[in-house]
Amino acid sequence: MAEHKRTYKVRDFFEDNKDELGLELLTSSIKGRLDITIPDIFRPAFVLTGFMEHYLHKRVQILGETEMMYFCSLDEGQKRDALKRLFSKILCCIIVTKGLELPDNFIKEAEKSSVPVMRTKWQTTLFIHTLREILDYYFAPRSTSHGSLVDVYGVGLFFSGESGIGKSEIVLDLVERGHRLVADDVVEIIKKGDMVIGRGREHLRHFMEIRGVGIINIMDVFGIRAIRIQKRIEVVVKLREWDPSRDWDRHGLDEKTTEILGTKVTQLVVPIFPGKNITVIAETIALNHMLKIYGFNAAKKLDRNLIDLMQSRKQTRRYLRNDTE
Amino acid sequence: MKTINVKVVNKNGIHLRLAGELVKNCSRFKSDVRIEKNFERINAKSILSVASLGAEYGSELTIIVNGQDEDQAVSLLADLFKSGFSEGKK
Repeated sequence: MAEHKRTYKVRDFFEDNKDELGLELLTSSIKGRLDITIPDIFRPAFVLTGFMEHYLHKRVQILGETEMMYFCSLDEGQKRDALKRLFSKILCCIIVTKGLELPDNFIKEAEKSSVPVMRTKWQTTLFIHTLREILDYYFAPRSTSHGSLVDVYGVGLFFSGESGIGKSEIVLDLVERGHRLVADDVVEIIKKGDMVIGRGREHLRHFMEIRGVGIINIMDVFGIRAIRIQKRIEVVVKLREWDPSRDWDRHGLDEKTTEILGTKVTQLVVPIFPGKNITVIAETIALNHMLKIYGFNAAKKLDRNLIDLMQSRKQTRRYLRNDTE
Repeated sequence: MKTINVKVVNKNGIHLRLAGELVKNCSRFKSDVRIEKNFERINAKSILSVASLGAEYGSELTIIVNGQDEDQAVSLLADLFKSGFSEGKK
């Protein structure tokens, strides 16, 4: 899995989000000296007051009502100093919220330092919240992985295994039984919080290659009900050719996991051989996963039953042995 | 055909995890492996069969191995039971 680091050009950020966030450009140019490189924001209120210790200047700077009220309360000389402090570092951009007016010299100073300034009518808290979501999504760790992702009874099963082991055939069989294909062969994975979400590459979406048949489009063949754009990956099903000398899990008491983008995901290694019906096993994996989430673990229950049985037998035996009547 | 008698030394008996260990080890051999307890004989390569024995601490089992690698199987199984499946040591 290959991870890549990204930067967000302020121009691209503006073009991508100006409609959703209602952004207008106040400076004459959107071209700045710094790209957005981190998904965090900073409110430079303390910088305006003169406390420069912790100026996180690489972040998107947000000026809300508090900052602007403070700024407007200053006399001309103090305003000049405040602006000097604000632009003492290279900034990627400044966004003013609540449609607040900016004094002319503010824009002038920004242009002098090549810092694009944008404005939105949105209320500050809501704006910050939405902005964080947009930036988080843009900067989320992501990778591409070889495998197939299917939504089986609402559980995201990611099938991995060597080429030619029959992943696509399993996917096809599952789709035929009413489950939904997310992506076959190439899965783009994005991390969101402690979840990993998979989807297909845009131009490959829902196309599949079936050996001996060629390229098919799942949506055309099976209809809209057979596809899904993205799905959280909950279980990795690793398909392995059957090998009698290998230790296959026989009880499932210990949950094994694998890491995707630093997130732990349940992993099962399932043996496969010609004529074996993996589809039914895949459905069972999905249903059993749901049962475990709801607190029902069959392996643990059986183990408990067994231990209880042996315990009670031991007691009965002791009773009978001591019974001399 | 080879036959050995073993005793369960594990305090909690052959619970599911140990049954898994046992089944895994038996499945490594080509020979047919059966376990007998109280005149009941089961297939040692099936986990649910092993679990059905409910072999508690101190119970005596007879292992019957039949096949080309029965010698290795018998010696491995004898060690396994003697060491209590190395439970808690792994």
